[in-house]
Amino acid sequence: MKPFWALLKRELAAVARERTILIAVLIQLFIASFSSALLLGLLSLYDPESVSITGRVNLSVGLVGENTAALAEALQARGMQLVYFENLEEARAAYARNQIETVIAMPDASQELVTLRLYLPHLETRASVIQLALQEPLKQYENTLRLQNGVPVRYTDLKGQPPTTFEFLYSIILPVLLFFPAFVAGNLVADSLSEEFEMNTLETLLTTPLSWLAIVGAKIFSAIILALLQCALWLALLSFNRVELFNIPLLLAMGGLLAAMFGTLAAFVAVYFKNREQAQFVYALSLMGLLGASFLAGVSPLTTISRLAIGDVYTGVGDVLLFGGIGLALWLILAWMLRRRDAR
Amino acid sequence: MRQIWTIALREVFRVRRRFSGGVSTVLVLLLLAALAALGWALRDTMTLGYGLYRVGVMGDAAEIRDPRFVVMPVTTSNAQTLLAQRAVDVVIDGDAVSARADNKSQYALGALKRYLSKQTLVELAATQEMTRAFPLRVQLYDMDAPQRAPQAPFIPSLQTPPTPFGQVITAFLYIMPLTFISIFFTSSFMEEKIKRRLTVLLSAPITPFQIIMGKMLPYLCFAVVMTALIAWLTRAPIPLALAIYMPTALFIFAIYLMVPLFYRTFQDTTFISMFVTTMTAVYLVFPAMFTDMSELAYMSPLTLAVKMYRGEPFGLQEYLFPSAPMALLFGVTVFVASRLLHEEFLMTYHALTRKFADALYWIIDRRRPALSIFLMSFGSIPAVYLAQLIILALATNLSARALLLAALLAAATLEEVVKTMGIAVLIERGEAPSRRHIALWAFLSALGFLIGEKLLTLVSVSVVSQAFLAQALFSGGFLLVPLAAHFLFTAVVVLLYARFRPPYVVALAAGIILHTLYNALLLGGAL
Repeated sequence: MKPFWALLKRELAAVARERTILIAVLIQLFIASFSSALLLGLLSLYDPESVSITGRVNLSVGLVGENTAALAEALQARGMQLVYFENLEEARAAYARNQIETVIAMPDASQELVTLRLYLPHLETRASVIQLALQEPLKQYENTLRLQNGVPVRYTDLKGQPPTTFEFLYSIILPVLLFFPAFVAGNLVADSLSEEFEMNTLETLLTTPLSWLAIVGAKIFSAIILALLQCALWLALLSFNRVELFNIPLLLAMGGLLAAMFGTLAAFVAVYFKNREQAQFVYALSLMGLLGASFLAGVSPLTTISRLAIGDVYTGVGDVLLFGGIGLALWLILAWMLRRRDAR
Repeated sequence: MRQIWTIALREVFRVRRRFSGGVSTVLVLLLLAALAALGWALRDTMTLGYGLYRVGVMGDAAEIRDPRFVVMPVTTSNAQTLLAQRAVDVVIDGDAVSARADNKSQYALGALKRYLSKQTLVELAATQEMTRAFPLRVQLYDMDAPQRAPQAPFIPSLQTPPTPFGQVITAFLYIMPLTFISIFFTSSFMEEKIKRRLTVLLSAPITPFQIIMGKMLPYLCFAVVMTALIAWLTRAPIPLALAIYMPTALFIFAIYLMVPLFYRTFQDTTFISMFVTTMTAVYLVFPAMFTDMSELAYMSPLTLAVKMYRGEPFGLQEYLFPSAPMALLFGVTVFVASRLLHEEFLMTYHALTRKFADALYWIIDRRRPALSIFLMSFGSIPAVYLAQLIILALATNLSARALLLAALLAAATLEEVVKTMGIAVLIERGEAPSRRHIALWAFLSALGFLIGEKLLTLVSVSVVSQAFLAQALFSGGFLLVPLAAHFLFTAVVVLLYARFRPPYVVALAAGIILHTLYNALLLGGAL
């Protein structure tokens, strides 16, 4: 057992010395911060509902024509300023003086089918922002018209929070932050093993009282430790940012188990192919395949992570143990294979 | 050309040899086939928030088919208990919907609201007559030409937001094969290095440039074929797709060319490649998400692709804005790589910063240091430009004043590093004859930087007309003032470094502070 620990220490020391693991941490930080910046940007531009919640709609609309009461109500509910005009020429003059940004003209007679005329600035970017801000009020006005026509619409009075940020955080950011360290762990194992093969240092290692199993085991184990450290860091940072996380110990366990599974998978591939090129390629491909397959089979570890974090009542130790079992099985097969190699 | 061809053939054989022999080829092909099948099967199931919410239903509740919701039947007796115990997040009882006050339940309700309003429309469309179901039409007019109606009227509730999400994903499809190919491309150089064959190669009548181009040729062909294939499959015009994606492909190859030059251990390669992949992915995807929303979107060629898929036209200037820096960067990188492709550089195992300084030393032509310094500043402009665009994109996202200053600081740091790094390396190696020489180099470096900057501004300012920050970052009024400023900052850094020999960072900090103050002064009105 002692040589195993010595090897483990060597692996960890190498990673600490080269400091390239910092690049991996940097990548994760970058992904997380950039994707939230992306999300915020997208929300403010493409998601009318969230826009109104953050109170960013600041639009002055010119209204032309009769029967504008229902539409005006919907627009004012979104905090827009309304200016009324007798005719389109007056409204356009006001637009030219920068008093209003857009004009909506109502048809004169009231009919079953109402056709509004919406006048937008020529500049494409400005026009699409205005159109977006008007989307929700127009939909509401449409519902009012439906009711007037005697068409019942169900579930129009639901409230709730716009869920995009919540879904993004728990179904993308958090799983990615726990998945990425594990992915890196697999990369580390594949690199470290194939480097021993390609540099012909493995034979030297095997002349020491180390077995194949101990060498591969130490590499996987050190990768798991690194992954666990990164996962702990992300969970701590998320908690620090006041993200509500349930089942933190189980989440950490999931991070470790993922690293163990990916590490073992990478070891399989590296021992089989013996060079970095193929090992990395096949490792990345098979990981994508396995993740996709797990999604199809309904036992995706990423879904389990999301559910654990939001405190789903039906997800708990049992689900984590399932992945523990898969990891153990993988490891046992690898151990059996390597023992046979030792025997030879 | 013959030499390049020979190297290219050799590269093809090398990859074939790696994957030949017994099961491995079959295995890889099987894996690829399985992945394709999976991708097909998964194309609908992967959604944001997969399986997050649990909904209890009873009575005449609307049917819910959305992968975000797990639906379970409840009864009148247990519904409220389950809701209180967090076993379900929302209960739908016929037309009534109830939820808890906590976050999870409220978000579930919000998600349900969106889903149901969409479902209701589908139901309306199926059961009601068209004008009764959708009694509102909106006809768009251009404010400047109020007589002409450009498009047919639309129905507000059926209008989908103009998110280019799907188009960006399609546009990103082109990039995926390229990043995978990088494994082979980098490994090719690594193998030469490990097997110590580079010296042999270089002793043949063949230049490093020919080796690089030769090794790149097969992958470039692959990139062309893949781009054409994806364009054909997604029914895009093939020549246009090639025009859009070739600069991007060159850019990606340029970046991956650097990886094998700088790596020390195998893990280095993986980490550096991963870093580079994320950076390029973000750089390409992020701006394209804002197509038609901000002019800065044009910094990514994917925006052009989004436009292509929408059938919207774009001009030559919009095309050159992202493409020219990428193609230029490729040229610079190939030049740099051909100067570094020798064993003396490849076989050293220093820290990455040290290795970078070594690289600079090798790039500089020591018989003509002044010219080299000038060209180095000039040549790094495309890279600086791309990096500054990233800073700009991040800064415009966060409008707080402090973040603006942070962006200015980051931009100043970048520029000062680029202008002074070459001179600092020469000083460090004791190759600076006198302080007068150093001052001259500082001037040339500033001049090279300024000329390059102004040339690129010609392309950029006309595209990014509104972003005021761009004005400060890329152009600074009269030519003489910025030249004097650039020279001053550079000279301060290198002369400080030459006179007192502090750590390079300390000298650099002085220049950065001055530069930031200058930029803040320029932006004075805006801040």
